[in-house]
Amino acid sequence: MEFNGTFELEDTTAEEVWLALSDPALVAEALPGCEFLVRVDDGDVDFDALREEYADRERELTADADVIEERAFEEGATYAALVQISVGPVNPTFETVVTIDEREFPEMSASGEGSSGDSSFEMSSSMALSETDDGVAVDWNTEADVFGRVAQMGQRVVNPVANRVVKRFFSSVQQQLRDLEMAGEGDGEEESGKRSLTDRLLGRSKGDK
Amino acid sequence: MSIDSIDPDDVDAADILGSAIERREDPALITGNAEYTDDIELPNTAHAAILRSQYAHATIEDVDTSDAETMDGVVGVYTHDDLARDDTPGDLPFLIPVAWQLPSLNDVDHPMLADGRVRYQGDAIAVVVADERYLAHDALDNIDVDYERRDAVTNPSDALAGDAPQLHSEGDRNVAFDWEIGDEDKTDDAFADADNVVEFEADNQLLIPNAMEPRAAVADYNPGTDELDVFMTTQNPHVHRLLMSGVLGHPEHKLRIKAPDVGGGFGSKIHHYADEALVAWAAKHLERPVKWVATRSETYLTDAQGRGHETTAELAVSDDGDIEGFRVDTKANMGAYLSTFAPAVPTWLYGTLLSGQYDIPAIHASVKGAYTNVPPVDAYRGAGRPEASFVVERIMHLAAKQLDIDPVEFRKRNFVADDDFPFETEVAVVYDSGEYEKPMDEALEMVGYEDFRERQEQAREEGRYLGVGFSCYIEACGLAPSELAGQLGAQAGLWESSLVRFHPSGTVTAFCGTSGHGQGHGTTYAQIVANELGIPYDDVEVVEGDTDEIPHGMGTYGSRSAAVGGSSLVKSAEKVVEKGKQIAAHQLEADPEDVEFDDGTYRVAGAPDRSIGIKDVAGQAYLAHDMPDGEEPGLEATSFYDPDNFVFPFGTHVAVVEVDPESGEIEFETYVAVDDVGNQINPKIVEGQIHGGVAQGVGQALYEGAEYDDNGNLVTGSMQDYAVPKAEHIPEMETGSTVTPSPHNPLGVKGVGEAGTIAAPQAIVNAVSDALDPFGVDGVEMPMTAERVWQAVNEQASADGSGDAAENGGEE
Repeated sequence: MEFNGTFELEDTTAEEVWLALSDPALVAEALPGCEFLVRVDDGDVDFDALREEYADRERELTADADVIEERAFEEGATYAALVQISVGPVNPTFETVVTIDEREFPEMSASGEGSSGDSSFEMSSSMALSETDDGVAVDWNTEADVFGRVAQMGQRVVNPVANRVVKRFFSSVQQQLRDLEMAGEGDGEEESGKRSLTDRLLGRSKGDK
Repeated sequence: MSIDSIDPDDVDAADILGSAIERREDPALITGNAEYTDDIELPNTAHAAILRSQYAHATIEDVDTSDAETMDGVVGVYTHDDLARDDTPGDLPFLIPVAWQLPSLNDVDHPMLADGRVRYQGDAIAVVVADERYLAHDALDNIDVDYERRDAVTNPSDALAGDAPQLHSEGDRNVAFDWEIGDEDKTDDAFADADNVVEFEADNQLLIPNAMEPRAAVADYNPGTDELDVFMTTQNPHVHRLLMSGVLGHPEHKLRIKAPDVGGGFGSKIHHYADEALVAWAAKHLERPVKWVATRSETYLTDAQGRGHETTAELAVSDDGDIEGFRVDTKANMGAYLSTFAPAVPTWLYGTLLSGQYDIPAIHASVKGAYTNVPPVDAYRGAGRPEASFVVERIMHLAAKQLDIDPVEFRKRNFVADDDFPFETEVAVVYDSGEYEKPMDEALEMVGYEDFRERQEQAREEGRYLGVGFSCYIEACGLAPSELAGQLGAQAGLWESSLVRFHPSGTVTAFCGTSGHGQGHGTTYAQIVANELGIPYDDVEVVEGDTDEIPHGMGTYGSRSAAVGGSSLVKSAEKVVEKGKQIAAHQLEADPEDVEFDDGTYRVAGAPDRSIGIKDVAGQAYLAHDMPDGEEPGLEATSFYDPDNFVFPFGTHVAVVEVDPESGEIEFETYVAVDDVGNQINPKIVEGQIHGGVAQGVGQALYEGAEYDDNGNLVTGSMQDYAVPKAEHIPEMETGSTVTPSPHNPLGVKGVGEAGTIAAPQAIVNAVSDALDPFGVDGVEMPMTAERVWQAVNEQASADGSGDAAENGGEE
């Protein structure tokens, strides 16, 4: 199955969106049904242990680029996430492992797989940011192979679910950008300070693999 | 022409055979008094649920059942490893058998539970047994399967291609068998100097049977006697007993298979599946009754599907319209493993029907069976014969069109002539009897064909597109003479057995080895037996479906029950009458030679006052106070009836449709079915079988189809996604019949269960094709959804550069 679309974020810049989307904590917060999203050493993940570890942990959202830099997604690194999605009559919780394949401003791609009791998926996604007149356009594209019970429901059911998740995700990102004042017309000092931090992050993402 | 049901009380005993009496089984079915497998509640029953592969093709690295096993109320969780344990019943390999051999058959292992590999979405991996049904299903979520996914292939041409993922071993290239019939050289010669060659290429899509009642089993084991009782949804209990005893290694005489009321099968309950055997195994292991009822989703994933052909065919025809040769090449989808009768369906049940109703001097067909990542494909109502009839009648339509001959005239020109029967075809069968123009003419009369073309022309001028489609089908049923079946590869005889037993009071129980599951045998068999014995219909009870009660049997499928089971009952009844005659003669103090039997009474010839009724004879037989010398008491007889030949019902179905080229919608104007099924035991039941069969044929033509995505996921796995036609989708049918008795069996019957399904699809496709003739559309792939029809119209329109459909003629 292939899903794609463009989401427009208002009153922001590509750099700010990039910063937000670099932060696993923010992504986890924005992704509907996501219990946790953490970096792991390799694809062999003990989800039971992670579940316990992250059961009550508060997500510490921040606009502080230093903090984000510390935990930002890295090309080649692997992440584990637990995500519940409602698909028709079922609510599978997918144990998902994703590897960041490429990450170079303003594009990012990742691939991974997820499995629940009776369903699973394999996917590769990519995303590119571009500035528009009044904000940022995110072009996203996902190719997914879906298996088991969810697949049986067919694209007719799965497509709207995927679109809904993506829409809610970016809406939530937009909200976070506002709440954390990453975006918008903040005062000059903060903004300039942030921009340099953003630049550092961008620079690092280019140089450091 | 709908037939009115008659109250049996209003029918004289002498007229009972052939009367359209009401079905005696209906009150129980309608009021809920029927007892289905799921209604059986044995004390302390545990419930099974089966974990099925979510992938169409994968290696299984590990199955971790520990979490499921520790759940409260879970009795046990079993995988292939547990089958091998010393403390569980039976020994490996627990392979599901195939009961039909072909010389080229590449038989593969089909383990009862996956042994490290799964080959279709739904393949069984583990079974959970729990105190409650829903708990068993919940526990499935706690089984952790470590899969290594493999690429899947779901259609036969892809599976047979060089780069296809291999299902079984690398060497066999997914070939299940390679089979041919007919004379290749002779056929090549016919084509070499043919005036015209008509080409045809089409798929016959995979269908899901959708019996109303899902498959189910309840097993109960008595460790004291080693007796294992299995109540299950089966069309052939004795066949299941034989096969299951082999799978489980349980002695056949200590295994009882009983079919309670069974809610339809359409073939899907003939086959031996892993599930029912697993339930029996679990009951034996746990020494506790175990019940399993498939969910509707499971039936979609696991019931053996039907059809699944990809075919190219060519017809050699002279300029005068004489058929000279027919060549067919088919790739058949066999699914992941070979199901019970699967190898017979696309070969002997298909290739032998390719002569249709026609005198074709040279035929050659080759069929390659392919393993694919879909559930095993096996017999589904019609089984091979609808596929054959589809190819034959579609190419007849195309040939008539190509030669610009009226389709009726073209068919009639090539029909087997009335005085050529028995007729030996080029594809190994001998048609028993037939008069093919008779039903055709009646059907033409019923649709008003004489005026049709004019009407069609007028309608076209008004921008309405009417089409007429014909299907002159032939069917081989009444499976089968055992010797022939054996020569063709059957691993079983196909006779039928029955027992007719008088009770001392004069009522009768008739046991038959067929196993009805909706056909109304309780009614029709009682009509047969009452007629033979000359006793009231209400005095005859029919028993089927229990290996403990019935001497033996081969079951109900292939439209065989009336022709073979019914004939067996006639034979048993004749034996009863004959024994009764000895007793009657003794009672009447006459020579048996001088005693005649008629209408339930033995009379001394020439002395009609000296008579005794058969019921009194039965009483005497059980009293046994005054028996002829050497005659045993009691009055009952068993027979094993083996038919001399298949029977060959035939008929003509005509569909008249109107197609809207702009929306692609198809509307029926008329559907006429004229069938010749030989003598009719109960015309109302015949009519019902035709109605149901046509409904299923309409389903294939317009709505149904099992669809898989590239990964082998079934994407039509529910009633929401797989369109079984509803009442509103089925046209009003007009049915008629002609009667050409079969000379091969004592009833002169030919079988009716599959006729409608065999006949209908191509009648409808031909009608749509005829309607869209102005658009250059030759045919539309089944199911002919509105979208496909619309596309066919538009593709053709753009292919010949004539602009869009509407401009080409869709509007005034």
